[in-house]
Amino acid sequence: AGVLAAHKITASSPDTDLPTVSGLRKMGVNFTVSNKDTVKSSDVLFLAVKPPIIPFILEEVGPDIEPRHIVVSCAAGVTISSIEKKLSTFCPTPKVIRCMTNTPVIVREGATVYATGTHADVEDGKLLEQLMASVGFCTEVEEDLIDAVTGLSGSGPAYAFTALDALADGGVKMGLPRRLAVRLGAQALLGAAKMLLESEQHPGQLKDNVCSPGGATIHALHFLESGGFRSLLINAVEASCIRTRELQHLADQEQISPAAIKKTLLDKVKLDSPSLSVASASKVSLFTSKSKKN
Amino acid sequence: RRGCGSGARPHAAMEEPELWVGFVGAGRMAGGLVRGLLQAGKVPASNVLASAPSDRNLGAWRELGCRTTHCNLEVMYRSTLVFLATKPHILPGVLEEIRPAVGPQHIVVSLVAGVTIQTLQRLLPPGTKVLRIMPNLPCVVQAGAMVFSRGSNAGDEEAALLQSLLSSCGLCEEVPESYIDIHTGLSGSGVAYVYLFAEALAEGAVKMGMPGTLASRIAAQTLLGAAKMLLETGEHPAKLRGDVCTPGGTTIHALHQLEKGALRATVMDAVEVATKRASDMAKD
Repeated sequence: AGVLAAHKITASSPDTDLPTVSGLRKMGVNFTVSNKDTVKSSDVLFLAVKPPIIPFILEEVGPDIEPRHIVVSCAAGVTISSIEKKLSTFCPTPKVIRCMTNTPVIVREGATVYATGTHADVEDGKLLEQLMASVGFCTEVEEDLIDAVTGLSGSGPAYAFTALDALADGGVKMGLPRRLAVRLGAQALLGAAKMLLESEQHPGQLKDNVCSPGGATIHALHFLESGGFRSLLINAVEASCIRTRELQHLADQEQISPAAIKKTLLDKVKLDSPSLSVASASKVSLFTSKSKKN
Repeated sequence: RRGCGSGARPHAAMEEPELWVGFVGAGRMAGGLVRGLLQAGKVPASNVLASAPSDRNLGAWRELGCRTTHCNLEVMYRSTLVFLATKPHILPGVLEEIRPAVGPQHIVVSLVAGVTIQTLQRLLPPGTKVLRIMPNLPCVVQAGAMVFSRGSNAGDEEAALLQSLLSSCGLCEEVPESYIDIHTGLSGSGVAYVYLFAEALAEGAVKMGMPGTLASRIAAQTLLGAAKMLLETGEHPAKLRGDVCTPGGTTIHALHQLEKGALRATVMDAVEVATKRASDMAKD
């Protein structure tokens, strides 16, 4: 998005063989295996590890956190208060922002929300917003809504991919080549979403506008309704939100299953004690344009 | 059985504003329409003549100030705008009976379910101005929904007349004849779907502890109020629905239940089935 020069970005990961690592390197991002180095060379610190790993990371980098740092957690289900609690043993007023985004940030059409912690200023929130707005939609919310956001736009792309796969199947069944079917299906959803975002009208109205009396579309919609399409989607958002809350509950209790750790960590990880752990997947941090590092 | 007085004589073509209205058949639906007509103030009750085989319904008409008879031919002689409001199986016989008295001055409007304009025109003299109307039950309380279509000889004047007379009974719109069966599925029968829904709403409330009579009244008022808002705001129902749903609140929870039950599809099915049945019956 051109918001930040690559050389101002530092990322760390214990495993340098990940495809994401070489991708980042190609972009010109600074890479290190040391989380501490990342923290030291950053002002805005994104914690992009899996939720069970967050406590380990916080223990590790806690001593290096300074007042200037804005710690942004993207970890699902990890509360601001749990992060602040962990960091407060090292730093009296840690600036914490909790963020929930989604995968389409990759194509700069992400949906991101953030909630600011106790010691994060309005400007800190706005800085994050500026950064994330460059990759899609970004707005501030109250923290208690983040689980619902996860259910809707966090998981949302997966619902869309599923729908697109099925739509393409429908196209193929009716005679379209697969590639064309996928392309058309995706474009249809993209176009519809764009229409909705740019319109003042209710989606129900937009739907009606497509349905000519006795026509093809209304027949198709009847099928969707018969199958409980709407309620399935409502169920999905609800299930994802509830699961997020469960994960949060687990994280709060710091119950980490060995399987979860095993999956995330690779052979290079030592598990002597939590404070010495170098457990992390990857962590990207960004320089702030306001920073004295300029 | 139907004695016709010899005093009956043909009536001259109608002059503005004197309109002579007749009803062949005087049942509930006809009664609803005449009440609306009279309320519209366009036709004095004394200008209305209704015929029926028995006196059972006619008393109520007389109370309104209308004239009554047992002679269908008399209705034709004394009226220009004639509503046919018999039961479907009676109609062919009635048409045969009145046919000799039908002239170019007449406007014949059929309320008879399932009888097409084609059939009506076939059984009446060529050139007769025929219109077909499908009302619904709430016409009796002047909150009806009616659609009408014109036959080959009915023109803008006749359509406009009908519209202006019946708008006081509720919504009255001209449509192509092909919509009439759909109207049956949507609104003719639709009234029954609403009664079913109202009953279910009230039962839900009774289950939760509210007395039945109160629950029924509130259910009815809820439907009335919601419908009124729809009609008066002109907003899309989806928007109005959204307006009622506070995040995480009671309404959205309840709506989820309705969606789980595929209520929308079921209602669509009902309208579809009733429409198809109406057109099947018309073919009989």
